[in-house]
Amino acid sequence: MSNLLEVRHVTKKFGGLTANNNISFNVHENEILSVIGPNGAGKSTLFKMISSFLPTTSGEVLFRGERISNLKPHVVARKGVVRTFQETTIFKSMTVRESIVVAQHLRARASLAGYFWGTKTAHEDVDSFGQYADDLIEFLGMTPIAHELASNLPQGNLRALGIAIGLATDPQVLLLDEPFAGMNHDETMKMVNLVRKVRDDRGVTVLLVEHDMPAVMNISDRIVVLNFGEMIAEGTPSDIQNNDKVIEAYLGSADDEIGI
Amino acid sequence: MEQIIANGIYLGAQYAMIALGLTLIFALMNVLNFAHGQMYVLGGFVTYTFYGQLGWPFVLALLASCITLAILGALIEKFLFAPVIRRSSREESTMLLAAGLAFLFDAVILLVFGEKQRGVPKIINGVFNWDFRLIMPYDRILICALAILSIVGFILFMQYSKTGRALRALAQDRTAAQLMGVNVDRYSMIGFALGAMLAGLVGGLLVTITGVNLGMGGPTSIKAFMMVMIGGAGVISGAIAGGIILGFLEAIGLAVLSQYGDITYLLIFVSLMIFLAIRPQGLMGKPWG
Amino acid sequence: MPKLNTFQWAGLAAFLFAVFFAVPAFVAASGRTDLYYTLTSVALLSIASAGVWLTFYIGRINIGQGAFALIGAYASAILVTKAGMSFWLSLPLAGLFAAGVAILIGLPILRLRGVYFAMISLVLTQVVTLTALALPITNGAKGITSIPLPGAVSVFGLTLIPDFATLENPRLAFYYTACALMVITFAAMYRLVNSRLGHLCRSMQQNEELAASIGVNIAYIRIIVFAISSFLGGIGGAMFGSIAQSVYPSSFQVADSVNFMLNCFLGGLGYVFGPMLGTLVLYFGWDLLFELGRYQLLVYSGLLIILMLVLPNGLLSLRLGKGGGQGR
Repeated sequence: MSNLLEVRHVTKKFGGLTANNNISFNVHENEILSVIGPNGAGKSTLFKMISSFLPTTSGEVLFRGERISNLKPHVVARKGVVRTFQETTIFKSMTVRESIVVAQHLRARASLAGYFWGTKTAHEDVDSFGQYADDLIEFLGMTPIAHELASNLPQGNLRALGIAIGLATDPQVLLLDEPFAGMNHDETMKMVNLVRKVRDDRGVTVLLVEHDMPAVMNISDRIVVLNFGEMIAEGTPSDIQNNDKVIEAYLGSADDEIGI
Repeated sequence: MEQIIANGIYLGAQYAMIALGLTLIFALMNVLNFAHGQMYVLGGFVTYTFYGQLGWPFVLALLASCITLAILGALIEKFLFAPVIRRSSREESTMLLAAGLAFLFDAVILLVFGEKQRGVPKIINGVFNWDFRLIMPYDRILICALAILSIVGFILFMQYSKTGRALRALAQDRTAAQLMGVNVDRYSMIGFALGAMLAGLVGGLLVTITGVNLGMGGPTSIKAFMMVMIGGAGVISGAIAGGIILGFLEAIGLAVLSQYGDITYLLIFVSLMIFLAIRPQGLMGKPWG
Repeated sequence: MPKLNTFQWAGLAAFLFAVFFAVPAFVAASGRTDLYYTLTSVALLSIASAGVWLTFYIGRINIGQGAFALIGAYASAILVTKAGMSFWLSLPLAGLFAAGVAILIGLPILRLRGVYFAMISLVLTQVVTLTALALPITNGAKGITSIPLPGAVSVFGLTLIPDFATLENPRLAFYYTACALMVITFAAMYRLVNSRLGHLCRSMQQNEELAASIGVNIAYIRIIVFAISSFLGGIGGAMFGSIAQSVYPSSFQVADSVNFMLNCFLGGLGYVFGPMLGTLVLYFGWDLLFELGRYQLLVYSGLLIILMLVLPNGLLSLRLGKGGGQGR
């Protein structure tokens, strides 16, 4: 099993506050790895550093041996590591299909001027974008809402739209930001199946941060646990369930935040 | 040196007051009030009318400026800004409204008071002179003191009064304030009135020194925008800091660079741009406030 | 790629016919040659406003177009008077120069968003005016005067454009030139908005972070768009300078920058042709109210406010967003 993504000694400090301290782990090709931890454990900070939405204080993140931390977000996306957002971050006044067409920016072969003048390559691109968008919409089961404005969609569909936008870039690694937050059991199970399908059928490696424990246990190949900015455990779901440090960390925090 | 500091304080205090009103309106309603400079000019003309023309005591004329502008601000908020904010799909639409208001005020001032520069009798005569190291007319000292007093009064009001606390809650988070039971519509109106009143108050104070004319509105707005940018939009301490900084820059520029004409402002603009490139949210603003 | 339907083709044909045949015929019949000046101004102002509109399209409120119009006017005037260049060559160069300045200024200030960008752009006009006053090459407050009218352009002895100075009616020639430029500008804008760049702009307008996450180099697109916007401002300014045959530091002021913005708002920010309609209505509205003398500004601003109350989303919102401009 090869290491697709390597997080090496990553540390983030905000002023005197250490949000992440010396975090190291690897993500293997074609696996689903979850980063979990109680609120304030530093999950989302780590997530932002991996996608270069935040610079690291020290340490680095490698993708296929190439550094992807401390770059511009769009450069990281170009390399094939793409993040999603929580549901409020969408293209509000575009339809589902329009959003997916725009999100194929990285697949464009013609230049911007080429599109302006309408060259042959540009025409081919436009056709292929439409085709790819329709395929993706069908793959994700979004055909009935393909022409709905994003701002009119219910929450559950917005989450799926976020993943669709990410997938439209044809990524190698998809970083999911709390894909199950605020969902009931049925919705969570649907999302779990969707994420699995993305990995199984499209061969996309998935790294997600989440604090919904049952869903994470269900979906993950491996889990990394953070607490107070420190990495306290790494292993398969069953390892993690029996890890004393993890149990302590979760018992120490407010029960209602864990979602068990 | 002493002279520059004194001039800086004098300019800074009046600028800070202008910026306070603008930033208050911005913080509460996310409205960039283009008409702020015109409100300031209007305040000047009201004091001019009551004190200069009708011979009222200065303090009463000043009060008249405050009341006129406060009422005007409240009406504008209730009948113009609130409906447009409610119905428009983009928040920028309020900018068009504000620009239209700036034109409207200019037109009203032109019709009622004409284009000429107007002045009023001095409130106190005489000049403070400390060995020719520091020369300042007494009326400037008085106005400066009044401006500082008003700023302190405003801060105390915002900090300790019930209205002030509600306004601060509203500025911080509109939805949360609503949930806490703050009457958002009512306090938006009060806030706008307060912001307009501050503009009118400075106008009334300064008419005794610089006089007032129609053309002062636009440039005053631009200066106010700059101060707000320096300090950070929507932050009270930022507006005061921005005002004082601009006041001092101007005082220094006028003393050092006066022989080069308008170059002071060119330099201020350029440094402002460099500053904002490094710190886009201003000195005390929240990022992307 | 957008395809026009029959109705849109008919509209376009009617528009071109009106601009290039009906209006000149009307002026010839009625003898109101002053209309040429008004309409030429509308055409040129709408070009500059189109630029402002484009910056709106990436979610930036641009109140600084006057600065770039002034830069364009000076660039062309200096090239024509000091370097003896043909106006027709100086025109694109003036646009390019304005675009170049926009790139330099844009690098720092385009990082700002919302009100911050609006405020700093408002300050830009003042900066350029003060620079023009301070620099020797712009001749300070005296400005550049007696700029010669555009000369002839001929290729292989064939005169494509006659020397404006020899024309009986240079106003008509300027009118044709301005309208031709306007038509080209808006055709290009329509094309641009409906091409990939337009889609990317729209994605940035709605959410810059999400746009970055799908690989859009947002800083680059912002600069390109601002440069195009300022190019249009420069072209408009250069044409104005040539018509007036003079440029002063006060040729374009903060109020002009605000007006460019108003044109866009009034026409509607969601519609490519919004700035054209907005400019026409505002400029003609102002002109028609001239009869009112001292009440002109009062009525004008009053109407503006009422319009805002009735149609807060712009004039073209009456059509409820069908066809026309919104890229789809």
